[in-house]
Amino acid sequence: MDDQHNETIKQAPLLEARNLTKVYEDGVKALDNLQLKVHPGEIFAMLGGNGAGKTTTINIFLDFIQPTSGNAFINGVDVNKDPLEAKKNVAFVSENVQLYPNFTAIQNVDFFVRLGGKSNYKRNDYEAALLRVGLQREAFDKKLKDFSKGMRQKCGIAIAILKDAPAILLDEPTSGLDPKAGKEFTRLVGELRDEGKAILMSTHDIFRAKEIADHVGILNAGVLVAQKTYNELKGVNLENLYVEYMAGYMEEATGSLINSLAE
Amino acid sequence: MLSLLIQKELKNILLSPKFAATFLVCSVLILISIFIGINEYENAVRQFEANQQIAQQDIAQASSWGQVRNIAHREPTPMQIFVSGIHFDVGRLSGISSFDDVKLVRSPYSDETLFAIFRVIDFAFIVQIVLSLFAILFTYDAINGERENGTLKLAFANSVSRVNYLFAKFAGIWLGLIIPLLIPILIGLLLLLVFKVPVGADEWMSISGLIGLSVLYVTFFIGIGILVSALTRKSSLSFLLLLVIWIGSVLILPRMGVMAAGQIVPTESIAQLEAKQEAFQKARWDQYSAELSDIWRSREAEMEGMDENERRAYRDDKEWEWLEKDDVLRKKVQSDIIENNRTLMEESRNRKKVQEKLAFNIARLSPVSSFRLAAMNLAGTDIDLKNRYEQSMRIYKDDFTQFVEKKQEEDGGHGGFRISVDSESGVQLDFGRNDQTLDTSDMPRYSAPKTSLQTSIASSIPDFGLLGLFILLAFGGSFIAFLRYDMR
Repeated sequence: MDDQHNETIKQAPLLEARNLTKVYEDGVKALDNLQLKVHPGEIFAMLGGNGAGKTTTINIFLDFIQPTSGNAFINGVDVNKDPLEAKKNVAFVSENVQLYPNFTAIQNVDFFVRLGGKSNYKRNDYEAALLRVGLQREAFDKKLKDFSKGMRQKCGIAIAILKDAPAILLDEPTSGLDPKAGKEFTRLVGELRDEGKAILMSTHDIFRAKEIADHVGILNAGVLVAQKTYNELKGVNLENLYVEYMAGYMEEATGSLINSLAE
Repeated sequence: MLSLLIQKELKNILLSPKFAATFLVCSVLILISIFIGINEYENAVRQFEANQQIAQQDIAQASSWGQVRNIAHREPTPMQIFVSGIHFDVGRLSGISSFDDVKLVRSPYSDETLFAIFRVIDFAFIVQIVLSLFAILFTYDAINGERENGTLKLAFANSVSRVNYLFAKFAGIWLGLIIPLLIPILIGLLLLLVFKVPVGADEWMSISGLIGLSVLYVTFFIGIGILVSALTRKSSLSFLLLLVIWIGSVLILPRMGVMAAGQIVPTESIAQLEAKQEAFQKARWDQYSAELSDIWRSREAEMEGMDENERRAYRDDKEWEWLEKDDVLRKKVQSDIIENNRTLMEESRNRKKVQEKLAFNIARLSPVSSFRLAAMNLAGTDIDLKNRYEQSMRIYKDDFTQFVEKKQEEDGGHGGFRISVDSESGVQLDFGRNDQTLDTSDMPRYSAPKTSLQTSIASSIPDFGLLGLFILLAFGGSFIAFLRYDMR
């Protein structure tokens, strides 16, 4: 992975956050000057607790919210300036993939893949993608309302695979999955990375992040408090590191608050 | 992209249980309403023809023209199958005589009061109540429901423009709702042909206009449903808001308009009007009696100083002259009363017209009123139906009265009957024409007032325009709301 990593950073990043800051209307600062880059063939795992800013980052990349300042780029296109062009280059899998309950798996995949701009696929291609993500053939023509969360997630990743975008955003994709499904999902994400996709993944799952990520960033209250590469993570107890950074940051933040109050 | 989104929306609707329910309910209701409407119409036509025949026979069998009691009947129209409007509330007939003013009485609802309680379900009612509710059912979660499901986020993770997405929503839902509306309508129109309902070119045009109007009305509710869905985050909230809007616009606003107009422009009730008419009538007859007393006193004065024989001879000499003078005076009283009644009626009608206009203008704040008024105008069962008939019956009444007077003159008198008292044969009543019927071949016949298609269309155009404006506002609002919609 070392050589591969060195190779990837020579290429332009497919996902880039440049000084991203987001302050919500209620005054909450969700992101504070976030900088990150995800190159082709790289997985960037954003770790952090609830409200750390992980989903806000992904929402900015998808143009669901506008940053207060800074820019998000997908394949070099500024999302804020040309969101439609930027989103041609990205696929998205959410924490809880929800599709149309009255459509079958194939109908759902067909709709979202064609919405993603790929209209040349045949049923065989959909079947191949669904088999690849581990969905049983019997489920292909069943309506989604009968699907478990794991099955829906598989459909979601199949859609992302078929969209064949150079960048992929994964928002807590393994949350709520059973260990077997989670492992299968991790394998698939690894395969996509190996195909050259740039993957930005938000997760709570430290162990899965360590297992597949090339970069791990620890977010706390919108600040990227630590960023480690795969090599830097070798032999490191990520759990301890995570707790240490979070605690350190909390201490610092608490200290600042106490100081400001004292002043 | 747009066609893909429209196809998805349409497919999503067609595969949903609510489409099946809507299609079933719409089909059953529309077909039953048209079928029952056709039966009602055919019954009304049979009754109309029978009543006309009976009236003709009664006239022919009268002993003299002075005894003729003519009746004019309101003619049923095939358009009442679709929009009953005020058809069931307005009287079916009016007596035509020189003594009484025209007044339509015996409305279908007064004959069959059970139906007056629950009213009929016609096509306009189904569109106004049922389809508007279905439009809300189809749209209340159009945007916020997709947000709640997470499909909105997944769709917009792609290169999809909001304008296209919203337009596809409108188009998909519109098609999904119009299909259940148009299919039973087309079958219903076939029923008209099967039952040989006399529908002419004008009626077909009116029916086409009515279908277009219904589509516009449903489109408005689709627009308002999507607007509220795009303004709210939760589908439960949008459903509640839309129900409030529906109740306000369908049930409250139109009635409020009428109530407000009643307060702003008060009008006399029929009872008050009749009391006024009767008061004038009484005063006028009292005046007549007083004048007659004066006249007789002056006649008595003329005979002062005469003995009994001279008096009798004088009276015999003057009798016809005096009778004619008295008759002129009496006729003057009658014409004054009729003229006063007409004037009072005219004033009342004019004031009512002002009240109606104000009521309609206030009620038109709701698109439901625009739909209802335009539908009634197109069908010819509008608020003016009663006035149109009564006016045409008044014109007929004048013609008929002139005709009867002419006939009486030709017959050499005013007809009626003669009482003779004789010491040999006692009291005898002579009706003159016991052995023959009247020749009614040249009697003027009443024909129903016809409203031209152009007039119907012209009177419904403002409401078409208003509905169009409401739709534009709802759609424009939806686009603005959705462009600012938080997809998360």
